[in-house]
Amino acid sequence: MSPLVWVGVAEVALRTLAVSASALLLALALGLPLGFLLGRHRFPGRGLLAAVANAGMGLPPVVVGLVVYLVLRRGGPLGSLELLLTPPGMVIAQVLIALPLVVGITLAAVGALPPDWHLQARALGLRGPRALWVLAREIRLGLLAAVIVALGGIISEVGAVQMVGGNLEGQTRMLTTGILMYTQMGRFEDALALAAVLMGMTFVLAGTLTAIQQARRA
Amino acid sequence: MRDATRVAVLALLVAGCGAGEEPAAAAIDVATTTSTRDSGLFDELLPAFRGATGIEVRLVVVGSGAALRMGADGDVDVLVTHAPEGELELVRAGKLVDRRPFMENHFVLVGPGDDPAGIRDLPASAAFARLAERNVHYASRADDSGTHRREQALLREVGLDPEAGWPAVLRTGAGMGQTLQVAGERRAYALTDIGTFERFRTRVDLEALSPPDASLRNLYSVLRPNPDRYPPDHLDVEGALALADFLLSPATQARIAAFGKNPSGRPLFAPLFAPGSEP
Repeated sequence: MSPLVWVGVAEVALRTLAVSASALLLALALGLPLGFLLGRHRFPGRGLLAAVANAGMGLPPVVVGLVVYLVLRRGGPLGSLELLLTPPGMVIAQVLIALPLVVGITLAAVGALPPDWHLQARALGLRGPRALWVLAREIRLGLLAAVIVALGGIISEVGAVQMVGGNLEGQTRMLTTGILMYTQMGRFEDALALAAVLMGMTFVLAGTLTAIQQARRA
Repeated sequence: MRDATRVAVLALLVAGCGAGEEPAAAAIDVATTTSTRDSGLFDELLPAFRGATGIEVRLVVVGSGAALRMGADGDVDVLVTHAPEGELELVRAGKLVDRRPFMENHFVLVGPGDDPAGIRDLPASAAFARLAERNVHYASRADDSGTHRREQALLREVGLDPEAGWPAVLRTGAGMGQTLQVAGERRAYALTDIGTFERFRTRVDLEALSPPDASLRNLYSVLRPNPDRYPPDHLDVEGALALADFLLSPATQARIAAFGKNPSGRPLFAPLFAPGSEP
């Protein structure tokens, strides 16, 4: 393959990284506190919210894509923002896909702690942010699982980013939508090149997170 | 006996589970272009074909370039495409046989109603020259489809680089329907077959801007892979011939002539053989 083709592949790969990383960070920023809240506190509607999060873990990305498309399209409720067919539009869709994953797994990790955990923490003189930090370290296996699952869900996703991003060359083409397109065009070499990059990227990211997750565990 | 079994299996499928696996013996793979599906034509024709022959059709909907490649590689039994130069090239190379044109319509340049580039009623090539000069948004299929190939030919005609186009070109790499939606959302121009456009015109805020001229003629043909290049059972030649005969039959040609007349009074496709006459 010519060097020019690889420049195109790199451009698509970098966009995929940027969009997916933005979506992951946003999903974590929203999902981790929400997961903690649902796992640690009792309040009215908590059960319903937890059920929504767990149901959302199986939310089909194409449905998210459809809804985001309809909301963002010209003439849709948020059409004036002109986010359809743009990277920020794709980030919105990916956040909606990843958020239930982060909330659901965080919720489960927090729930796995002994019910009197906060009493123990208090007995050890831990309060406020420090207690939260110790809690987070205690359940980091689960939290990193949330990060890994959310990343996997985002980076491998094709339906929603195709619908919302439109796979426009040089603007919204992602590794997954590019693979889909080249396969449909019968250009299997190009599809394989993008697939190789996607697999490599996923493996390196998941491997790094796994190393963090498993660090200093006997 | 075989036919009886086929009918029994089909009847069971229809009566029983509905969407199950089709029996392998009575199904052909057809590669076709997005325009025949997106315009709704095949939704209309294929049930009649199934009713007349009992043959199920598995549609592989791709651009003409990919359809031609699949046909040349023997991946499908029949193909319906609209890229005459590419078709004839593969026929000359002995990879495809039995090319039969059966209907036509035309391409049309569409764009926002206020026409910011001022191309209304210009001939297609002049319109493309102006779009490039004004550097306005233009949604290109960029998928090696028949429509994309025509766009490239028109760009070449006015001395533009068909690959590079101009900076504001949006390349969707997608089918006609999706490309029209992108054009509508981005207030961009696009080249489309009239069939798909008529189907989408109520859903996208775009207007037909170019008058039909000879450079925009769009010819659809049915072809099949050369069976001599494959082992005897590789292709369903019988099924392929049945579909080609069906598309050129007077009844189907009449159906094509009547299809989609309601929205504008104009038919979406014109059959090549006047209904009633033998092709």
